[in-house]
Amino acid sequence: MMPVTRYDVVYRTSIHYDDIVRASQNELRACPASDDHQQVVAYRTTTHPASRVLTYQDYFGTRVDTFGVREPHVLLEISAEASVETFPRALVTVSPRVAELRSPSFRDRYAEYLGRTGHTAWDDDMAEAARRVAAISGDDVVGIVLALHRFAHTSLRYTPGATYIGVDVNEVLAKAQGVCQDYAHLAVALCRSIDIPARYVSGYFFAASESTGEEVDGDVVSVQTHAWFEAAIPGWGWLALDPTNALQVGPRHITIGHGRDYDDVPPIRGVYSGGGRPNTQAGVEIRRQTAVAQQLQAQQ
Amino acid sequence: MALSGLFEGYDPGGFFDEAVTSEGAPRDHYEALVRRLEGLTPHHLAERERVRDAAFRSAGITFTVYGEGEGIERTFPMDLVPRIIPAGEWEHLEEGLIQRVTALNRFLDDLYVGDKAVIKDGIVPQWLISSSDGFQRAAHGISVPHGARCLVAGIDLVRDAEGTYRVLEDNLRNPSGVSYVLENRAAMTRVLPRVFDDHLVRPVDHYGPSLLNALRRVSPAGADPEPTVVVLTPGVFNSAYFEHAFLARQMGVELVEGRDLVVDDHVVSMRTTHGLKRVDVIYRRIDDSFLDPVVFRSDSILGVPGVMSAARAGNVTIANAVGNGVADDKAVYAYVPDIIRYYLGAEPILPNVPTYLLWDADQRRHVLDRMDELVVKPVAESGGYGMLIGPSATDAEIAAMCRRVEADPRGYIAQEVVALSRHPTLVDDHLEGRHIDLRPFVLCGDRVEVIPGGLTRVALRKGSLVVNSSQGGGSKDTWVLASPEARTSRGRP
Repeated sequence: MMPVTRYDVVYRTSIHYDDIVRASQNELRACPASDDHQQVVAYRTTTHPASRVLTYQDYFGTRVDTFGVREPHVLLEISAEASVETFPRALVTVSPRVAELRSPSFRDRYAEYLGRTGHTAWDDDMAEAARRVAAISGDDVVGIVLALHRFAHTSLRYTPGATYIGVDVNEVLAKAQGVCQDYAHLAVALCRSIDIPARYVSGYFFAASESTGEEVDGDVVSVQTHAWFEAAIPGWGWLALDPTNALQVGPRHITIGHGRDYDDVPPIRGVYSGGGRPNTQAGVEIRRQTAVAQQLQAQQ
Repeated sequence: MALSGLFEGYDPGGFFDEAVTSEGAPRDHYEALVRRLEGLTPHHLAERERVRDAAFRSAGITFTVYGEGEGIERTFPMDLVPRIIPAGEWEHLEEGLIQRVTALNRFLDDLYVGDKAVIKDGIVPQWLISSSDGFQRAAHGISVPHGARCLVAGIDLVRDAEGTYRVLEDNLRNPSGVSYVLENRAAMTRVLPRVFDDHLVRPVDHYGPSLLNALRRVSPAGADPEPTVVVLTPGVFNSAYFEHAFLARQMGVELVEGRDLVVDDHVVSMRTTHGLKRVDVIYRRIDDSFLDPVVFRSDSILGVPGVMSAARAGNVTIANAVGNGVADDKAVYAYVPDIIRYYLGAEPILPNVPTYLLWDADQRRHVLDRMDELVVKPVAESGGYGMLIGPSATDAEIAAMCRRVEADPRGYIAQEVVALSRHPTLVDDHLEGRHIDLRPFVLCGDRVEVIPGGLTRVALRKGSLVVNSSQGGGSKDTWVLASPEARTSRGRP
């Protein structure tokens, strides 16, 4: 019998402008994915002012809600409500050797996730750090990935506001502080620098705080969107790890989507005309539906 | 019969000469032209050149050259001697071009809206696509009616020492130059009207209507039967702005900039004096990365926010399609013969130029040893920018290119130098052979059509192999002769 957990997630963003905005055009990536580890039961988006939302699946398989607002406004409110069930993930049961990373068919299959991108452009120092960490784990790919994950976790101090989107990943490591996106980019860059395919994951995390990953007392948390990473293990597939919290990704993690880095899967992206400067407030409320979960389990 | 007059002392110089055989006799299809030119005096010629210059000045033809200081403009010089392609030769080219562009459209459709079968079947590696700057993940899932993703293709052809036509590169994003084809023809009929009348030359002046027709054929399903087409330009500071305006005029459609278009509920409209008017097809002459700041460069002020979502919704067609750059990536070019075999099950009619892929260690070593004999090009550039021509490069230039190749082997390809064919070209008061190429223009709507001829570019500097207008080249009017059957059935035009 597979334990199932049901979460209701409400993602909200409000953007206050200090002058009237004539038009804005936006893309929202807030809908949880349906995959081997989770299933979306219900989802809807609302915008104020109202708009006609066009939905599509992007190159990486993430649901995108795109919409424009063409009436004058000083406040744009966007919300996405999802009900999703999550399942536990299997533990890795293979132990491939490093040589398997060099197989041309493996490299070609994961070609999207081997190169440098804007947020993961490692320099020689970072590759050297990755090699040092990997050397301790010898020839075992899973061991190396776990060691790099741990290294990313311990290399940064969780510091909201210390970084901004667009910061260089090498600078993040040098300054030794950041938030979940920085941890994820650092882990991705470390893996790729020694030829391990890795990708960035955007999602939600049911925890009392983004940075400690503590279990929650009640059934409701107010948090921000979260980010982690996945590394490709030869003969297995993606291994998902949360370097901010030094956790294996589990049933409290709700995936939105993945990409080469943040830019492939930002929760919200848009442009507007007029309006002066925006002040954005975003938040996520996650409610664990314990009763539903129990009923679901009883049915199985 | 020996050559005389302007041709006095004309020497094919061991190259394949378009007009004259290695024995120094005019080729059959040049016979009439050569005899006419022999009869012209230098005085006569100077007068003809004045007529030409006046024709171009009044048409306002200019071409901005990057890298020579901001905004320098000058006329794009048309040589007085036209290039002639006989009917049979053109038939072969036309067939080869249609085949190539058909396969490239299939390839692009497979990558963006298909199953990526070409990758799964091992014809093209995933990493090559993933690492191509021209591959636009944001175009995933956006289809184009009839799969006409290359609505306008400019395929650069060269002729080697044996006279074999080869494809040098594909231009599938925003190929420019067609305005010169039309303007050269218009000027030529005024400059040498009698010479022109000696030949049954296939017309090119239907390009505008043909382009408009192709654009209308790709309008979204359910659009107005008389769809509204616009030409989207980055603006007057773009090097090809003249051509954008020219094409809009030829088609009788609006020339717009990004700020003239608005997207509302995933529908594109243009601002007019009578309010908003819905737009069905955008012939955009603006690069992918500037097209829509929501999905591409957020700092672009040239584009139209939301135009990608409108295309995705099936409310507007963007031509050429977004993401075509992956197919004219010069490293992907090397795979085009296999791409043709894969989709069409046929041998390529037009061969490539022998090309080396520099990420392959063996090929790279071979190339680095022979840099002084090869041409090295960056994979994502067009217009001859960043190119090294080994035989005429200095040691320092070669060393610099070696370093760039070693640092980024995926970023460059190397090709054998093609001894480009030459063509008699006016130099001062006589004719000399100069190297030429040919860029035919291929239109894809619900069918594929090639405009007879294309832009013949000529390297005006003696010995130069670089024909790009941005690199100091000139042009020639290109005459495709109608077949003898056409002569009898249609008579004289």
